[in-house]
Amino acid sequence: MIKRNNSARIFTYLFLGIITFVSIYPLYFAFISSFKNLAEYTQSNTAFPASMNLENYAYVFRNMEFSRFILNSIITVTTGMVLYIIICNAAGFALGLLRFRFKLSIFSFILFFQIFPQMVIAAQVFRICSKIGLMNSYIGLVLVWTAYFAPFGTYIMSTYYATIPRSMIESARIDGAGVFRQLFSIMMPMATPMIGTIGIVGSLAMWTELPFSLLLISEPAKRPLSLGIAIMKGEHGIPVPVLSAAILVSAAIPLILYFIFQKTIHMGSTAGAVKG
Amino acid sequence: MLKKRLMKHQEERDALILLLPLILLMLVFTVYPVLANFYYSMTKWKGFGTAEWVGLKNYATLLQDVKFWHSLKNLSVLIAYIPAGVFLPLLIAAILRDGLKGWTFFRSVIYLPNILGYVILGTLFSILLSQRGPLIELLTMLGVQDANRINILGQSNSAIHMVSLLFVILMKMGFGCIYFLAAMSSIDSSMYDAAGIDGANWWQRFWNITVPSISFSIQFFVVLSFIEVFARMYSFIYTLTYGGPGFATFTLEFGIYRQGFKAFKMGYASSWAVVLFFFCSAIAALQIYVIRKGDQLQ
Repeated sequence: MIKRNNSARIFTYLFLGIITFVSIYPLYFAFISSFKNLAEYTQSNTAFPASMNLENYAYVFRNMEFSRFILNSIITVTTGMVLYIIICNAAGFALGLLRFRFKLSIFSFILFFQIFPQMVIAAQVFRICSKIGLMNSYIGLVLVWTAYFAPFGTYIMSTYYATIPRSMIESARIDGAGVFRQLFSIMMPMATPMIGTIGIVGSLAMWTELPFSLLLISEPAKRPLSLGIAIMKGEHGIPVPVLSAAILVSAAIPLILYFIFQKTIHMGSTAGAVKG
Repeated sequence: MLKKRLMKHQEERDALILLLPLILLMLVFTVYPVLANFYYSMTKWKGFGTAEWVGLKNYATLLQDVKFWHSLKNLSVLIAYIPAGVFLPLLIAAILRDGLKGWTFFRSVIYLPNILGYVILGTLFSILLSQRGPLIELLTMLGVQDANRINILGQSNSAIHMVSLLFVILMKMGFGCIYFLAAMSSIDSSMYDAAGIDGANWWQRFWNITVPSISFSIQFFVVLSFIEVFARMYSFIYTLTYGGPGFATFTLEFGIYRQGFKAFKMGYASSWAVVLFFFCSAIAALQIYVIRKGDQLQ
């Protein structure tokens, strides 16, 4: 269509090449390292492994309670997701479609308080959780995660609900549907694609979350996966091949999700950013 | 008339019920914690036990703390990388928009870092860039003299620049491209055709059509970049450099962790948190301004 000059093309390919390399190489490196033994790794850490040796994976599962960590992550992230989706939809429905006083102020309030980093609130969250017995508890982690990640999901859902015609709720009211029936039987079924989007973006955020789990979970048996990895990295003397195996185990589920739901994930990460 | 007023009343009640769970969770786990920092920043407190009132003493200490000034200096280095971190993906997206072979492959791949999360990325890059890591091995193979003396993350003058390059530019590049392409897909292509007739070259079209058309998305992306730098870097620093060497890669976020949860000076850490609160508030206000100006709120 439009003629591009060659230098622009070379620049683009060069840059894309660099980014592609930076994006893939860490994972590739973890992959090849995870099959090496320590001697082989020390000899050369860029070479391809001599054999597909699964010892490191066996070690990770046998000695490091990794199956326990995986279970912890699955329990907390799925519970968190159910709560997160209900809360984001309820609030997003109200902010996107309903009319009420102080709407703009409430919206700004939610946007304002979603920005603060975990560390700004960490000390007090820590104090509150130890006061009400939510330390080392799945419930505590789930509540804190949901409070922290739901404002963003709410914002995305509200932009979606704002596109639904108001006549939908008016006719629902005439049929005598209460607010919960409006939400669960009318609104949420219509919003399924967007719910899928915030669900995946939100569960990835929880799956890879570190600061809150680091501070709220001190019992090793309750650690989620990302905390397991971070702590392992801090312990000296963990050989790189073992660490690599642990990283691949931890990344497996998000990667599988990514290959299945790529489009949804791309859409979710750019949602709310494109005007309209 | 009466029925209409009743409906309105009903709608207010519905909205309140729907918003209550979110508001309650936020009040307990976000709003109260953010505001309570102001009180605790004026106390001597270990994070447990009682807090003892000390007035503004923590702030006086803060102003003389070399770690604090290091953190601010590091944040300014990170910010200095933001223009490149915004411009490069914008430029690449504009070039890709004209069509490029194999683009869908690139798109899948360059988004990968976002899936892995900062814990894994920080851990992997700390290995890759270490003195016994693959990068040094590669340099040695290429015949670089004394390559094993190079310690990018272990030297204070290079560490923060490496962190900035990785965090602000390289790891955000994939997201940026996808983000800007999504924004560009809504530009009316007849504008380009008209410019083509007028004989505008590629750069003129880039600056006069593409950039102004997606100015909302660009502004939003700039704000997002600031949020990432001030408020979302903790896990990456924790696993990549742990704030070191010395305080060379300290940020305010990471400083709070080290002061509060490692040295148990939680009162003092709260004064760091208050400073970070003001930075984040400014960014949040900017974000709300951009969103409102872009008509995203009614």
